Amino acid sequence: MTTQDVDGPLTSAGRGWSRYLPRFNIMLVLPAQLTMMAVVIVPTLIILWLAITDWQPTQAIAWFKAEPIWFWNFYDLWYDSRFTNAVLRTLFVVAVCVSVELGLALGLALLFLDEWPWRRVAVSVIILPMMIIPVDAANAFFMLFNERGPLNHLISLVIGVPYEFSWLSHPTWAMAPIMLAEIWQWTPLMFLLVLTGLMNLPQNQVRAAIVLGASPARIFFKIMLPLLLPVISIALLIRSIETFKIFDPVYILTRGQPGGATETISMFMYNGAFVYFRMGYIAAAALLVLVVVISICLALARPMKRHG
Amino acid sequence: MSNIFEGGRRTRRNFLQGATATAGLLSLAPSFVMRPRAAQAATLADVHVEAAKAAKELAAGRTVTLTIMQPSGSLGNVKPVADRFTAETGIAVNYLEVPLGEINQKVLLEAVSKTGAFDIALPATFGMPDLAESGILVNMDPYATKYEPAGFQDDALYSIGDYYKGSLYGYQTDGDTYVMFYNKDWLNNADEKKGFADKHGYDLKVPDTWEELDAMMAWFHRPDKGMYGGALFRTQYFLAWEWWGRFHAKGFYPLDDDLNPQINNDGGVAALEEMLAASKHLYPGARTNGLFENFEAFGAGDKFANIGWGGTQKFLNSDKSKLKGRMEFGLMPGGMVGGKLLKTPYFNWGWNYVVSSVSKEPEIAYLFTLYACSPAMSTIAVRDPGGYFDPFRGAHYEDAEIVNTYSPEFLAVHKESMRGSIPDLYLKGQGEYFDELRVNLGAADAGTKTAKQALDDTAKAWERITRRMGNRSQKVQWAFLKSSYPADIRSRLS
Amino acid sequence: MNENPLWVTFLKRTAVVVAMIIAFFPIYWLIATSFKPYDQWASWPPVWLTDAPTLQNYRIVFFPEAAREFATAQQGSLDYKVSGSAWKAFQDSAIISTFATLFSVMFGTLAAYSIVRFRTGGENYPFQFLTVRMMPPIAVVVPIVALFSILRLSDTYFGLILAYTAFTLPFSIWMIRSFIEEVPLELEGAAMVHGMSQFRAFLTVTLPLIKGGVLATALFIFILNWSEFLFALVLTAGNVITVTLQVANYVSASSGKLYGVQAAMGTISTLPVILFGYVIQRHLVRGLTFGAIKR
Repeated sequence: MTTQDVDGPLTSAGRGWSRYLPRFNIMLVLPAQLTMMAVVIVPTLIILWLAITDWQPTQAIAWFKAEPIWFWNFYDLWYDSRFTNAVLRTLFVVAVCVSVELGLALGLALLFLDEWPWRRVAVSVIILPMMIIPVDAANAFFMLFNERGPLNHLISLVIGVPYEFSWLSHPTWAMAPIMLAEIWQWTPLMFLLVLTGLMNLPQNQVRAAIVLGASPARIFFKIMLPLLLPVISIALLIRSIETFKIFDPVYILTRGQPGGATETISMFMYNGAFVYFRMGYIAAAALLVLVVVISICLALARPMKRHG
Repeated sequence: MSNIFEGGRRTRRNFLQGATATAGLLSLAPSFVMRPRAAQAATLADVHVEAAKAAKELAAGRTVTLTIMQPSGSLGNVKPVADRFTAETGIAVNYLEVPLGEINQKVLLEAVSKTGAFDIALPATFGMPDLAESGILVNMDPYATKYEPAGFQDDALYSIGDYYKGSLYGYQTDGDTYVMFYNKDWLNNADEKKGFADKHGYDLKVPDTWEELDAMMAWFHRPDKGMYGGALFRTQYFLAWEWWGRFHAKGFYPLDDDLNPQINNDGGVAALEEMLAASKHLYPGARTNGLFENFEAFGAGDKFANIGWGGTQKFLNSDKSKLKGRMEFGLMPGGMVGGKLLKTPYFNWGWNYVVSSVSKEPEIAYLFTLYACSPAMSTIAVRDPGGYFDPFRGAHYEDAEIVNTYSPEFLAVHKESMRGSIPDLYLKGQGEYFDELRVNLGAADAGTKTAKQALDDTAKAWERITRRMGNRSQKVQWAFLKSSYPADIRSRLS
Repeated sequence: MNENPLWVTFLKRTAVVVAMIIAFFPIYWLIATSFKPYDQWASWPPVWLTDAPTLQNYRIVFFPEAAREFATAQQGSLDYKVSGSAWKAFQDSAIISTFATLFSVMFGTLAAYSIVRFRTGGENYPFQFLTVRMMPPIAVVVPIVALFSILRLSDTYFGLILAYTAFTLPFSIWMIRSFIEEVPLELEGAAMVHGMSQFRAFLTVTLPLIKGGVLATALFIFILNWSEFLFALVLTAGNVITVTLQVANYVSASSGKLYGVQAAMGTISTLPVILFGYVIQRHLVRGLTFGAIKR
C-alpha cells in the first residue's frame, strides 16, 4: 500500500507557485484544523490568560486588559466549598448514572437475545428516549416531578394519602429527578451498545458451554461478560465522559438550586460565569477541569488504542 | 463642579470620584441640586409630547427602529405606550422578551458580547449598580440636563434606584414597595378585640411594629380551627426581604461608613430570632409556596396577615378572592427606636428603563424612556391589566381605572409606602451580598445554624465580597446611597 | 435459548413491555400535555388523558396573536403575551443546523481521507479531535464569549455555525474515517491505474461507496446541532434563537412555566430528531462510539 506522489497531476497549474502551497494532504485537513484552532485552541489559550486574572464585566475593561492576580484564583478554588462540592457531586452522578445505565442495559439486552415477532418494535420503542431533544426530555421530567404531577399522584394512590412532595425544591432529593432524567434518556444507548456486542459474540463458545451443561448464569458471567469487556469498556468510557458534562437537565430542572444543592461542575461554571459574572475565576476552574479530564481520558484511552 | 443648593427638588448631578468626594458628599446632608434648564423646557404635563417631538426630529429622514428587551409578562405595560410612540414619531419598536429572572444577566452579558441586540432594556432595579459599573448603561445625565423637566423625578415617588454614584442611569417604572394586608373582619371582630386587649394590654389594630404583628399572628394562629396567623413567606428570597425590613426597624444601617457589616449586631440577631419565632404562626405552605400560591392562599380568607406588592392586591381585589373589600392595609411594620416609632417601608424590586451603551441611537432611546415614564404615558402603562407595573407616579393614584383595580384604601397606603421606602442594597455585587444573606437565613430557618452564626457567616462573607469589589469604589456608592435614604429615616438610623 | 419454559418467556416479554412503558411514558406525558387546556396543565389530581383536547397550545406556538386573544378571554388569569412566534426559532435552527452540518461533514470528509490515506499528522492526530468531546463545553464557552466579543460574532448565525462545526468535527472525522477504512485501498489503486490521481479516485470510487455512511453521519450531526442548548443559550442575545431556547421563553410572570405550550413546542421540535434518528438507526452505535463499534 503506497501513497500517491502528492505533487502529481493535481497541481497542474504549474510547479512554480504550487511549490509554496502546503502539501496536498495537509491542505485537506486545513479546513477542519483551522476551525478547531478558532473555536477550541485559541479559546483554550485565552483560558490560560483569563485564569490568572479576576476579570469581571463589571470592571468595565476589556478582558485582555484585565489585571493579573496570578495564582489567587486557584487558591480561592481550593477553599471554595461550592466548587469542591460540585466536583464531588458530579463524580457521584457519573458513578451512579453510568452503573445504573449499564446494569439496566445488560439486563435489557439479555431479554433480546432471542427472536420474537414484535422484537423490532420493542427495540424501536426502547431507544425512543435517545431521540428526544434533551431539553424537551428535561421539561417532560419537570412536569412529571411537579408537586402535582403524575409521579406524586401514583405515590398517593399507592399510599392512600395525597402526596405532594416538592421534589425539585428539596436540597437532598432534587438530584433524583436529574439523575433519573439522565438515566432514562441514555440507558437506551447503553442498551444498543451492549446488544450490538452480544449479537456479535462468537456463538460457538456459548453453544459449547450449553452442550456441556453449564447453567445460564455461569454462561453469562464466565463467557459472555468477559467477551463483552471491550464493548462495555468503550460504553463506560464514553458515557462517563458525557455524563460528566451533564448540563441540560440540571439547567431545566433546578438551575443548581436550591442554593447550589444540585450544582454539577457544568452548572457551577455556568452560574459562576453567567449569573455572577466572575469570568476570570471560572476560567481558572475550567482550566483545572480541562487538565484533569483530558489527562484521565488520555490515560484511559491509551490501552483502548491498543485494542484497536 | 460647584453645586447650587435649592430646596424642594431632588435631582443629582455628576459628582467627583475619590476620597475627597466621599468627604465632600457626606457633608452635603440632603443634597438638592438645581439643574440648568434647557431652552425648550418641557413641563411635567407635556413632557411626553415634547419627548416625542424631539425624537421625531432626531429621526427625521431615516428609518429608525428601537428594540426593547423586556422581562416576560411586561409586554402589556410596554406595548400600549410604545404603539403611541410609534404613532407620534414614526419610529418602530421591536420587543425582545426574556424570562423575568434572567433579564439582568442578559443585560450584563451584553457588556461583554456587545451584540447590539437591544437599545432599551428593563432590568430589575437591584441590578443597576452592577450594570452601571460594567459600562453597558448610558449615563443619562447629559440627556436629562437637556430634556428632563423640573419636578420630573419628584413626581416619581421612589427614584433612589435610578441613580448610581450620583449619576442618572435609568427611570423607575414600577411601584414595588412592600405592603401589608390584614383580614378586616378578624381585626374588627368585637370578641377578638376584647380577648386580645385583655391578653396584651393594647387594642387590635393595624400593627405599627413587628412585635405587634408577631403578637397578632400568634393570637390568630389556630390551625385546629382552620385559622392561620400569617401567609408570609419562608422561601429564600422572601426571607431575606422580610429580615431586611425587620433589621432596619431596629434602627441600623446594614453597613457602617467604613463598610463594616452591622447585620450581625444585636439588632440583627434579634430581628432574625423574632422572624424565626414568627415562623411558627405561618400557614403550612409558607416554606414552599411562591407568589401566586400565596395570592390564592391568602385570598381564601383563613389567614390574618399577608405581605406583598401591588400585584398581590390586584388578585386580592378581584373576584377570584374571598377578601375583596374585606381587608385593611398597612405599611410594613417598624420598630421602637430611641423610644419613638420608626417605620421603614421597603422597596425591593422595581424595573428601570435603561439605554444600552451599544445602542446606535442613544438619544432617541433616552427620549423613549422619558416618554414612557411621563405621567401621562406611565398611567396608560400601569392601567393595563395584562402587565404588572404598579403605580409609581402621583398621576396614577388619581386615575379612575387604577383606583378601581387596586381600591382607594390600598392606594393610600401604597402611596405612603412608596414615598418613604428604604432602598435595597444598591451596591456592586448586590446579588452576591444578598445570596449570602439568603443562604444563611435559609440555614437559620432550617435550624442548621443559629441566628448569630448565620449572621456572623454572612457578615464575614460580606467583608470578602466588599474587598473583591473594591473598598474605595463601594464606599463612594455607599455614602451616596445612605444620603438617598428618605430624610426622616436617615436621621433615625445608626 | 429458545427452549425456555413458557412462564420464563412470559416473564421476559412482560419485562420488555414494562421497559417499553417506562421508555414511552415521559414522551406520552409531553404529547398529552401539549393538547391540554391551560387549567389542566398542573391541576390536582393530574389529568392523565384530557377530556377537552385543544390545539390552543400549538396555536400559541405558531400564532402568538392567538395567545393575546386567549389571554383576554381568560380575564387575565393567563397573562402571557409573547412577542414573537416560533417560526423564527425553527428557521434559525434550520439554517444553523444545516450549514453547520454541511461544513462539518465536508471538512470532516476531507480530513478523514487525509488521515486514512496519508496518515497525516501521525498516529495521534485524530485523538486531538477527540479531546474536544472530552471537555465540558461550558469550560470553553467563557473564552469563546470573550473571543466573540472582539470579533463581534456573538448573536450571529456565523458565530454559532462556527462553534457547532468545531464541536461536531470529532464525530464527522471519526465516523467517516471508519467508513473510509472499510473501503480497500485497492479500489482506488485500480482507478489510479487508469490515470486518475488518488484524490480523483477517492471522489469517483470511494465516496460513492460510502455515501450511505456519509449521509448517516450528516443526519447524526444534524441531530446533535438541532438539539444543542448551551452554546445557543450563551452565544445568542435575541437576533438569533434556536428551537431549544424558544421552549424556555414560554414562561409567564403570573403563571410560571406554561407547560402546555412548552410541551407543544417540545413535541414539534423533537419530531425531526426522532425521524432522522430512526432513519440512521443502524449507524447510531457507530456514531456514538466514534466509529469504535460497528455493526
